[in-house]
Amino acid sequence: MNKIADVLVVGSGMAGLVAALSAAQQGCSVRLLSAGMGSLAICGGTIDLLGYVQGNAIADPWQGMTQLPEEHPYRLLGVDNVRLAMDSLRKTLEDHGWPMHPAIIDGHDGNTRLPTIMGTLKPTWLLPPGVEPQTLATAKNILVVSVEKLRDCRPGLVIDQLKRYKEWADRTYTPALLPSPFGEAHRSISALDLARLADRPQTRNWLLDNLAQFAGNYDLILLPPLCGSRADLALQQQISAIAKCPVVEMLSIPPGVGGLRLRDVLLRAMKECGCTFIENATALHAEVHDGCCTALQVNASGVVERQAAHAFVMATGGILGGGITMTPGTVQETVFGIDIPAPQDVGQWSEQDIFGNHIFSHMGIRVDSAMRPVGHEATPLWQNVFFAGRTVGGYDYAAEKSGLGVAIATGWQAGRMAARAALEMNGKQQ
Amino acid sequence: MNMHISPDKCIACTTCVVQCPVAEATTKFLGPRMIGPAYERFRLLGLAEDASLHYCANCKNCDISCPQGVPVSSLNMLARAEQCRHHSPSLRDWILGHGELMARWLRHVPAPLKNFGMLNPLTREVLDALGIDKRATLPAFATQTFRQMFAHIRQPGHKRKVIYYPGCYVDVYDPTTGVDMVWALNRAGYDVIVPNEVVCCGLPLVSNGFWQHAHANAERNLRELAGWRDKGLPLLTGCPSCALMFRTDLLEYFPDLISKYGPCRLEDAQKFLLETMDDALFEATSTAPVVSQHVIYHAPCHLRAQGNGLPGLALLRRIPGVNVDNADAGCCGISGSYGFKKEKYDIAQTIGSRLFAAIRESGAATAVSECGTCRVQIRHGSGLPAKHPVSILRQHLEGLH
Ligand SMILES: Cc1cc2nc3c(=O)[nH]c(=O)nc-3n(C[C@H](O)[C@H](O)[C@H](O)COP(=O)(O)OP(=O)(O)OC[C@H]3O[C@@H](n4cnc5c(N)ncnc54)[C@H](O)[C@@H]3O)c2cc1C
Ligand code: SF4
Ligand code: SF4
Ligand code: SF4
Repeated sequence: MNKIADVLVVGSGMAGLVAALSAAQQGCSVRLLSAGMGSLAICGGTIDLLGYVQGNAIADPWQGMTQLPEEHPYRLLGVDNVRLAMDSLRKTLEDHGWPMHPAIIDGHDGNTRLPTIMGTLKPTWLLPPGVEPQTLATAKNILVVSVEKLRDCRPGLVIDQLKRYKEWADRTYTPALLPSPFGEAHRSISALDLARLADRPQTRNWLLDNLAQFAGNYDLILLPPLCGSRADLALQQQISAIAKCPVVEMLSIPPGVGGLRLRDVLLRAMKECGCTFIENATALHAEVHDGCCTALQVNASGVVERQAAHAFVMATGGILGGGITMTPGTVQETVFGIDIPAPQDVGQWSEQDIFGNHIFSHMGIRVDSAMRPVGHEATPLWQNVFFAGRTVGGYDYAAEKSGLGVAIATGWQAGRMAARAALEMNGKQQ
Repeated sequence: MNMHISPDKCIACTTCVVQCPVAEATTKFLGPRMIGPAYERFRLLGLAEDASLHYCANCKNCDISCPQGVPVSSLNMLARAEQCRHHSPSLRDWILGHGELMARWLRHVPAPLKNFGMLNPLTREVLDALGIDKRATLPAFATQTFRQMFAHIRQPGHKRKVIYYPGCYVDVYDPTTGVDMVWALNRAGYDVIVPNEVVCCGLPLVSNGFWQHAHANAERNLRELAGWRDKGLPLLTGCPSCALMFRTDLLEYFPDLISKYGPCRLEDAQKFLLETMDDALFEATSTAPVVSQHVIYHAPCHLRAQGNGLPGLALLRRIPGVNVDNADAGCCGISGSYGFKKEKYDIAQTIGSRLFAAIRESGAATAVSECGTCRVQIRHGSGLPAKHPVSILRQHLEGLH
């Protein structure tokens, strides 16, 4: 451990993990610190890029990007950079045995509408291995499976809901409820509990035996995300082979399981790059001099430690993640204390319609194309400080369905730019 | 007493549920989100306690993972204290909570006799009937306590001094780790003071529900350590659980004592040693021939909870000849005395199985971890010998192979 890291990343959600990898791939020493796990750990396992623009569903996210407002992170980066970022992530996933892919429509990649455990459809872009949009579109005879005592997923409800969508109406559905493998349980079980049974070879048979009884009778099986909690391609293949048809997981409410698989891959990749991971450390304040940040003050179980670095990436997750602090009338970035303009009247922050255009959900740091926070004149506040993910302003991930996509694109850029800044600083010092 | 921490920061995101090793291993446990912040609301309304509270191992993975900073494990421990005020814990829990006190009572009995007394098959049957699983490997008393051995160490007489808090595991069961620590600190240019007054940090007392006893231990320790702290001496420990207890837990459990004595935040001795290396006070070089050794490191949860990364691992990486893997396979399952308990033994083994497999598959001949009971569990689960990082440091720098 050198006293001064090249790049210090704060936050271990998707944006922080991608930033750390991206900086490490440029040859930097990277230290990542985090006060909690970030929403990737509870997300589903698909990657949204862009599902809606101004409330309209779009099939081609790349096309859709060009219609976004100028301050949107994708526009700041430019479509080409977003592509590079996604290619880089896909390569990392593929290299670690978890290749994800988009639907290909007329030679272009595009969105897929995937069923959720509530029976609704949600547009998303990168799909986990084994999920083929073609099968989803053409399967006629579909088995919808859930498990006894799994509170959140009811096959009957899923089927009723799915039938209301034109593209899913004209199919034959069969509901099935598997017996719970847990017997007496003191709490309601979750898909994650079941997924973990599938992780261990000793307990995997529960799932395999239960699916074997349906083998050959259906062209598609939909089930909750219970096919393992790690990025284990062989397991996915084994499951589909036993069922003799594609087995597709529906998207779930937290814990969504699939996000854990992505996290699993990214943590492994980070470890291979020699990144250091400091858990349970909260960044408190920044030390800044002459337009540069030199260190962050960090709370390490009650002791304030100084974490020095040549460049910094803040991937602190916005309002929900802890990166933005709100008090009535003021909104501030937590560590650097950057003011975020917001109407004085809190009543104006949101609209009546929950799917409306809320000010609070766009709130975040204004950045330049390198992901440096900018002041009034659009000039960077510091040369070596970069922001990524949900702390960046100008987009509404929930309305657009762009959450992990923006986290990846901005994380990739922030990591790369931080690496460049760090190498420059390093050069100046030597 | 009747202390409560507000549960209202919890946004019910389920991140802690994903990370809790006990919830992963058994559906008998309600899980951190429900047993911690959610149930706390019922407690505030005076509703009865949930029957699965005792399954919380106080391993702190919930705290590490929570993005909102909810101190879930402390909510659980405070609830347990409250529960134990109404229903006294069992004899079994008394025994497991009071290891150090028993050792003090038995201090005049020779170790082989004590160990025979405690570890012979007949006693193990009796203990098993009391609820200490006979399949568990219990640590054996050392022939001499650390403090008895320390009294005979001739130190170099450095002007710079540090306070070393050995923790009861080192004191009672594993004195050589303490002696190796003194050696390392001496070599880094410090003489070591081990205050006579200090006792067990109280973690096993808290985990087993002996709140008043934990309070008494905390008072005795803080009274003693505050004096040294005020003289400006670094307060060090090699045991991650002790460190965490002094750095955060005592502040949440016993605010009365903290306002009386102020916090005494023990520093991780491995981090301290690493910094002496950075400052060139300590050179990790040796005149002895370099012997290569492949070891695998396990990070105790209570170390991960401290927000200082893994200084023990970094220290191992500085030792010439040592090739170290980071097992990075989660909790070992033991959580102090948790894994010794009959109704929890299997849970603990399930939790640790991923770590044991990683250790066995690594091909390393030795496992390394800072925490004494993690090492007990690793030996039991993987069959490999397990050592503290300072012991590996000393072994290589002194050529003691
Ligand atoms: C329940 C849920 C499900 C979702 N599902 C999907 C999905 O299926 N697909 C999709 O594309 N998107 C999904 N999203 C959106 C997507 O998860 C987020 O937009 C994206 O993950 C944000 O990533 P982030 O890294 O910016 O922030 P976060 O994941 O929030 O990470 C922030 C990190 O910073 C840490 N942190 C904050 N402040 C500090 C500090 N001061 N010091 C140290 N650490 C700090 C936090 O603890 C955390 O680790 C979902 C979101 C939620 C909440
Ligand atoms: S302390 Fe450990 S066992 Fe207890 S709830 Fe938290 S994670 Fe689970
Ligand atoms: S305690 Fe923290 S991690 Fe657990 S559900 Fe509440 S907010 Fe989420
Ligand atoms: S944490 Fe464990 S080893 Fe350390 S003093 Fe307490 S009981 Fe003993």
